[in-house]
Amino acid sequence: MSFRPLRLAALALLLVPFVAGAAPKQLVLLFTGDNGGEIAPCG
Amino acid sequence: MLDAGNALFRSRDSGGAPDARARAELLLAQMDAQGTTAMAVGARDLNLGVDFLRKQTRKSKLKLLSANLVDAKGTLLFPASTVVDVGGLKVGVVGASPATTQPEPMEPLAQGKAAGVMRQGLPVAPAVAAEAKRLRQKERVDLVVLLAAVPYDEVLKLANEVEGVDFVMQSHEGRGSGIPQRMAMTTIVPPGDRGRQLAKLELSISGPGRFVDNSEVARTRDGLRIVETNLAKARERLAKSTDEVQKRSLESAVASLEARRTALEKTVAGGATPAARTHLLSYIQLGSDVPADPAVQKAVERIEPPGSAAH
Repeated sequence: MSFRPLRLAALALLLVPFVAGAAPKQLVLLFTGDNGGEIAPCG
Repeated sequence: MLDAGNALFRSRDSGGAPDARARAELLLAQMDAQGTTAMAVGARDLNLGVDFLRKQTRKSKLKLLSANLVDAKGTLLFPASTVVDVGGLKVGVVGASPATTQPEPMEPLAQGKAAGVMRQGLPVAPAVAAEAKRLRQKERVDLVVLLAAVPYDEVLKLANEVEGVDFVMQSHEGRGSGIPQRMAMTTIVPPGDRGRQLAKLELSISGPGRFVDNSEVARTRDGLRIVETNLAKARERLAKSTDEVQKRSLESAVASLEARRTALEKTVAGGATPAARTHLLSYIQLGSDVPADPAVQKAVERIEPPGSAAH
């Protein structure tokens, strides 16, 4: 009987907490629009 | 940093104003200097023609985008999209311009160029759908942002039909700031207007799926608190009431508030499970409390001297 599947299963179990606990990737998008030719403070 | 378009001119026919060219040149130079990655080409960006835009951005990192603006042969006049790697994520940015019912001159006629050189805005939705699909399949992007310099009603249609776009930043009418609008296929986020604010979209990604609005969950919790307060008041009044007509009216109010509370509780419970993708929109107001950069201020005052009637 091969122990390979058991070893793989054990490895998968070991890795699960790391995968589940992986921090989400954070990203900030800054954006503008409809500037309409303004070059100085207004409004 | 991205721009949804319609940045350069006040109106579609203001390209002939004495300071229009200087304003547009300054804006493009500053957008590049401030690290703007891409901008959609809107109707109010084309006043001085396609060549003007190309020449002004030839050496800049700022990319002008349009997936549907073509010449007479049907060749795209600007790149349809760009891909940016940020924080370990691949972001696909697509640009869109207004569809036109008939070809329009490529350059302003006043410049004496042949009116025969024409451009056209192809239908927006198919062009965006094709580019979003290409970005997902070929470029393997993690998310797709559409800079849509197209009329709002067209964006609404697109947002209910086109797959593969996570966020739409729309410009055209100057609708200003607001809250994210979740549509069938995507979320529309208002970019603000007239340089009065900087929109900030904070994203958190830990897996696939649609983005969930973090502020919506907070708003629902606030709503639930209000309903619970009103429900307690209505029950108290009902317990004290002796008038039959008033009692019936209060019973109906209590029933309606209870139904509303159940619906909100369900929404909050759904939001308690952490979503794989969330977004939070806010605005940084650029008022007089934000100091001007002295070098930029000087450049602005050459075009718009202090005390001038520009505003």
